[in-house]
Amino acid sequence: MIKLYDYELSGNCYKLRLLMSILELDYESITVDFYPGREHKSDWFLKINPLGQLPVLEDDGLVLRDAQAILVYLAARYDQSGRWHPRFDARLLGEVSQWLAFADGITATASAARLHDAMFYDFDIDAARQGGHRLFRILDEHLWFGEREGRDWICRADHPTIADIACFPYVMLSEEGGISRMDYPAIRRWCDRVKRVDGFVTMSGIFPAGPARAA
Amino acid sequence: MLQVDRTRWHPIASSDDLPFRHVFQAQLFGREFAVWRADDGYVNVWENRCLHRGVRLSIGINDGRELKCQYHGWRYANRTAGCTYIPAHPADAPARTITNRTFLVVERYGLVWTAEEPGGDVASFDWLEQPGRLALRPIPVNASPQRVLASLRDLAFPPCGADGESFETAVESADDSVVVLCARAAGAETLAAFFVQPVDAHRCVIRGVLDRAPEEAPARLAVLRDLNQRLTGLRAEIERVAALEPAPAALEPAIEPLPAELAEMPAISNHGRSAGFRVSVERKWEAARSIAGFELRPLEGLLPTFQPGAHIDIHLPNGAVRQYSVVNGSGEGATLTIGVKREPDSQGGSSYLHDTVRAGDVLAISEPRNNFPLRRDATKTLLIAGGIGITPLLSMAQTLQNQGLAYELHYFVRDESEMAFRDRLAALGSALKIDVGLSAEATARQIETLCGGYAPGMHLYLCGPGPMLQAARSIAAESGWPDEAVHFEYFKNTKEIDDSSSFEIALARSALTLQVPAGRSILEVVREHGIDMPSSCELGACGTCMVTVIEGEPDHQDVYLNDSEKRSGTRMMTCVSRARSPRLVLDL
Repeated sequence: MIKLYDYELSGNCYKLRLLMSILELDYESITVDFYPGREHKSDWFLKINPLGQLPVLEDDGLVLRDAQAILVYLAARYDQSGRWHPRFDARLLGEVSQWLAFADGITATASAARLHDAMFYDFDIDAARQGGHRLFRILDEHLWFGEREGRDWICRADHPTIADIACFPYVMLSEEGGISRMDYPAIRRWCDRVKRVDGFVTMSGIFPAGPARAA
Repeated sequence: MLQVDRTRWHPIASSDDLPFRHVFQAQLFGREFAVWRADDGYVNVWENRCLHRGVRLSIGINDGRELKCQYHGWRYANRTAGCTYIPAHPADAPARTITNRTFLVVERYGLVWTAEEPGGDVASFDWLEQPGRLALRPIPVNASPQRVLASLRDLAFPPCGADGESFETAVESADDSVVVLCARAAGAETLAAFFVQPVDAHRCVIRGVLDRAPEEAPARLAVLRDLNQRLTGLRAEIERVAALEPAPAALEPAIEPLPAELAEMPAISNHGRSAGFRVSVERKWEAARSIAGFELRPLEGLLPTFQPGAHIDIHLPNGAVRQYSVVNGSGEGATLTIGVKREPDSQGGSSYLHDTVRAGDVLAISEPRNNFPLRRDATKTLLIAGGIGITPLLSMAQTLQNQGLAYELHYFVRDESEMAFRDRLAALGSALKIDVGLSAEATARQIETLCGGYAPGMHLYLCGPGPMLQAARSIAAESGWPDEAVHFEYFKNTKEIDDSSSFEIALARSALTLQVPAGRSILEVVREHGIDMPSSCELGACGTCMVTVIEGEPDHQDVYLNDSEKRSGTRMMTCVSRARSPRLVLDL
């Protein structure tokens, strides 16, 4: 069985729970007390991930760290449709990788602002928020023009990819770090669309959307 | 300093910002709005704040007819913003005072406009009324609206259809909320209005609209991209300069706790039943054999909030007052629909509505009252309607259907020509089961089957002719349904009222002791002494004039309360019920 070293309030752990739910994968969650226990810096956890970061996934003897890398692995191994990680479409795969790196940028800014506000991390909060807004402006513009071109998702495909899963959590949690999404209407609409993907699950701070069509 | 003019209309969104089942977040002069389009196309602009705990409604769920708060699930109706359901009080109809603040809205030029206290009209730009216009991507700017308005005068862009780098951009007109620019080149000209939405003292949104754009999609997209690039370039420059100065403090709008007309206590009157709303008959049609459908539209403003199961009183010009259930689903429509069955022994109610009232006539109605509220927490809801009893249950069915809750509607009719509101029935799909032409015995057997599978958490709602209700209630009780899971509404109270008793009533809150003589009702006596009591049917069927009994033994003569409620003796209907004890103490 897949093992996920997991923390309930982590957006990076949540994105793996989200993809595994979409792919209908069973997994075992091993809770790591990130806050206030700082268990991810404990000796036993540093042996699993010397970077001292969540999440970590264990599967069939493979130990993998880094949320974006784990998304790639899970989709490549378990997604029968080949859509979430489109490895045979070079252009699309390039785009997916580009936005996975963008998701790391969101973690470094919007997630840092949230760690500062909610878990008392000693970060430069103004820089974190400004950095988040800068990325959100780019994403909103990208999504707004996507809507005009008939593209609902981050990458140029008629279905979501792991790029959407990678960017979604810390966008949705941004208000816990004082980053309002009022100025990003196309992001807000995209969030509704992600929430309507079959298999969507919530976490604390990420609410469901209503059904897109009348039941 | 930003001039805060709350009477002026400002754009707060693009029409495109309100897709199906979305809630948009907007702000004007520091006040936030939740903006959502209902399935009937109506655009709601509300205070972005749930009346319960103040949570933003912009994170709520738009279900097409109601907006549900994410926090504790309070639901508010399309148009009125009146609360229709509180999950923590599933058996009760929410008070009418629970109504969120709404703002007027106009859609024009591809934009959505509002004002806090509108005076006058939306700024008039005839040249933006054409269908070929193009609303640009809105550009939020972290700078004061004045600074942005000043900078917009220097924006340069080519007219649509111009090729080459040679063009001129000139200011056509400008005021304190819009800059109109004209771009010219050889043989091409484009007018553009750049409205500046004052979000806050230090924030605004540039909402540009061009008077024309190329028809082909790729060329339109190229124009959108070009203007987007020019505007984001302008924004970078504005924000660079604005960041050098201290930002002004954010505006702090006052939150009104409640609209004044709702917060005030109603005036004391002893006039009895009142009809505060004037409606015109928009449409009258034959909904089924001997059932007339009426669609009623308010003469001005919005209809008041109603919930599934609610009824209105219609005050007819001939003096008759009659009750009819609202057929609409919760949050549905700008008009109220009712169904009126012609009663063979009509005393001037149904016959007047059938024979005399026509489309275009004006009628007086009461606010909707709900003494037959629908729970929305049932594991499964069973609705059983007989004949014209379909009306309240159809309202419930449409609400349950829209919300995706488990239910069945069983509709008993004598023959197919009596089936009313077929278009609404058709939308219910497989949840609707129709039984045609069953005898009383066969109906009872069928109800017995329906009631067979009771499990805790299920709820049963009944409406139909008296004998059918009587039978269905007994069958449900025998099948193990507890009283609190069986809800019913009679059309009328056919019992002979015995008003021969005389007794004393003490009104605990009013500190009055009154005598009720034979031949007079508690309701009449109480009203005569200046105490305003709501009432509706005044026949012991609707439940409107219910009062809490503190002491004494009531003599129940109504058909509203169920048997266990009657046995408990804690509530009574003041229009028909009396006292077995010499004295009653009432919570009045």
